[in-house]
Amino acid sequence: MARILKVMVRKGVNAAITIFGIICLNYALLRLMPGDPALSLTPRDPKYQGLAEYNRELFGFDKPPWEQFAIYLQRTVTLDWGVSYRLGLPVFDVLMRDLGWTLVLVGTSTVATIIIGMVIGSIAAQKRGKPFDILSTATGIFLYGMPIFWLGFLLLAVFEKGSIVGHYFTWWPALPSQGYYDDMLGPWSWDGAHLTSAAQHLILPALTLTLGTLAGISLVMRSSLIDVMTEDFVTTAKAKGLSDRQVLRRHILPSGLPPMVTLIALDIAFVIGGAYQVEVVFNYYGIGWETIQAIDNLDFPLLQFIIVVGGVAIVLANLVSDFILLLLDPRIKVT
Amino acid sequence: MGATDAVVRSGVVSPFQASLRVALRRMQEVWARIRHSRTAMVGLAILVFFIGMAVFAPWVAPYGPIDRVADTSNCVPGVTCPLSPPSAQHPLGISEEGADIYSQVIWGSQISLIVGIFSAMVASVLGTAVGLVSGYMGGWVDEVMMRFNDVVLSVPWLVLMIVVAARIGTIDLLGLILVIGLTGWSITARVIRAQVLSVKERLFVERARMIGSSRSHILMRHIFPNAFPLIFANTILTVAVSILSEAVLAFLGLSIYNTVSWGKVINQAIGGGALVIGGNVWWLIVPGLCLVFLVFGFYLFGFALDEILNPRLRRR
Repeated sequence: MARILKVMVRKGVNAAITIFGIICLNYALLRLMPGDPALSLTPRDPKYQGLAEYNRELFGFDKPPWEQFAIYLQRTVTLDWGVSYRLGLPVFDVLMRDLGWTLVLVGTSTVATIIIGMVIGSIAAQKRGKPFDILSTATGIFLYGMPIFWLGFLLLAVFEKGSIVGHYFTWWPALPSQGYYDDMLGPWSWDGAHLTSAAQHLILPALTLTLGTLAGISLVMRSSLIDVMTEDFVTTAKAKGLSDRQVLRRHILPSGLPPMVTLIALDIAFVIGGAYQVEVVFNYYGIGWETIQAIDNLDFPLLQFIIVVGGVAIVLANLVSDFILLLLDPRIKVT
Repeated sequence: MGATDAVVRSGVVSPFQASLRVALRRMQEVWARIRHSRTAMVGLAILVFFIGMAVFAPWVAPYGPIDRVADTSNCVPGVTCPLSPPSAQHPLGISEEGADIYSQVIWGSQISLIVGIFSAMVASVLGTAVGLVSGYMGGWVDEVMMRFNDVVLSVPWLVLMIVVAARIGTIDLLGLILVIGLTGWSITARVIRAQVLSVKERLFVERARMIGSSRSHILMRHIFPNAFPLIFANTILTVAVSILSEAVLAFLGLSIYNTVSWGKVINQAIGGGALVIGGNVWWLIVPGLCLVFLVFGFYLFGFALDEILNPRLRRR
């Protein structure tokens, strides 16, 4: 147990170093870009006057670079992230509000992806070379190569209210496809009407994201299990007369699962990347949608911390998966 | 690596040439297996089709990528432009800017392939270099490189790429290739590093170390040739990822201004009302299907190669 703890501490330190690296890289990249950084971080557009002054003061854009970097680090840590130009609200508040909706979308899709992907992958592995395997693998690779935004538009075209299909068949279901709940309901509150509306609005974006990322899990699950199936201990288990089901549950899954955990963490990064596209297609006002708006309005105070928040989310997902992996399989070496 | 020694002994060749010959010989063995893999051959057929489309685009496409075939000077795009549906003369209709969409789709294959292949090469060379050095050197070099790799892997590049583009305003072909290539090497680096770690422990490397071979000699003559097939398969998969990256960037508005790519055609289709009732749906569907099939081709070929090159996956 002490050894596991030691490894965990080490992984935690590594994650902290990575987060620090992201914060530094973000600082360097945004300021090394062509153009005058002070100008894009505090534009002279009269409508931003007060906000620009505030941010200039906060991040010391008139100070020498090393001092600016120190101020930037301090502000990052104290969550004092300046004010968004587009919204005129503190960046931290804006990001926390958006993060909630993005987490709902990413969370739903990730859970669905993992469960469906693992089931399909393990059935395919068991029926290797049979029609189910060939069909699911081909479909998987096909979906894997599909641009998520394009898949989103296809689903939108088929299922949105007044869709082309719905135009010809009146019984065709129409799903809401814009925003995260019906605007007619007024501001958000935790009542039945809002929750139902939010759930309906979640269907299309979450379906798009799930279909787009499913194959990443199912294909690797399949090859990971096939890998284990060729081991001698599986042959032994079969030879001693266990049923296929018993072999799968007692011998194949326990050794085939650990690599999946790492994959799932990597997949979360992929899902977050896909969420940007899905949010834009369905006008789902999460971090991804906010990012595109921020870019269109050159809202740099918001942008610089969107990158930090996105990076930290991915690092934390990796860290959690490492911990789960350690608990599942204590033999893992420190790498 | 008896093969390498034999090549060196048989004639006057440099060690690098020798290692290249070993790599080539392994590639020939691999080719023999590819011909027997239905998956790989289907993938290859798809690739040949699209490469043909790209190479012969100037002769196949009836019009240039941004030629105006209809007069749109008197209308406001998106408001009053007449949307021209598919016709015999323009199989996929005419875009809002007055271009022949069928021609645009054919020309689009060039950008997807060029950007995909060259960014993948940039990413592979970088990733291979980092993976080889990191895996072979170990110690603090490995530690520093892997932490940096973690950072690169975790930064939301999509956002950064668009920010870069928003700052520059426009982007050219080289810029696009570099942006995708320089941000896509970290997974390759991890894969290669893992392979190096396992090759490093094999007996022939141990033997080479015993007889006093230098580090760079072992790396280039023994480890690189053994990792080469994997690097090749990985590059092909990276091409698929790069093609998708280009499409996403184009969809979000970052594309080369004086030509078209499939992502850009889709972007224009959405802006031009392809999804409106009575709109030209093929404008959205055809370039998307081209993207899907091209990426599918690279994945099929890449996965098949991976299965051929990774002996543990082979059917026993």
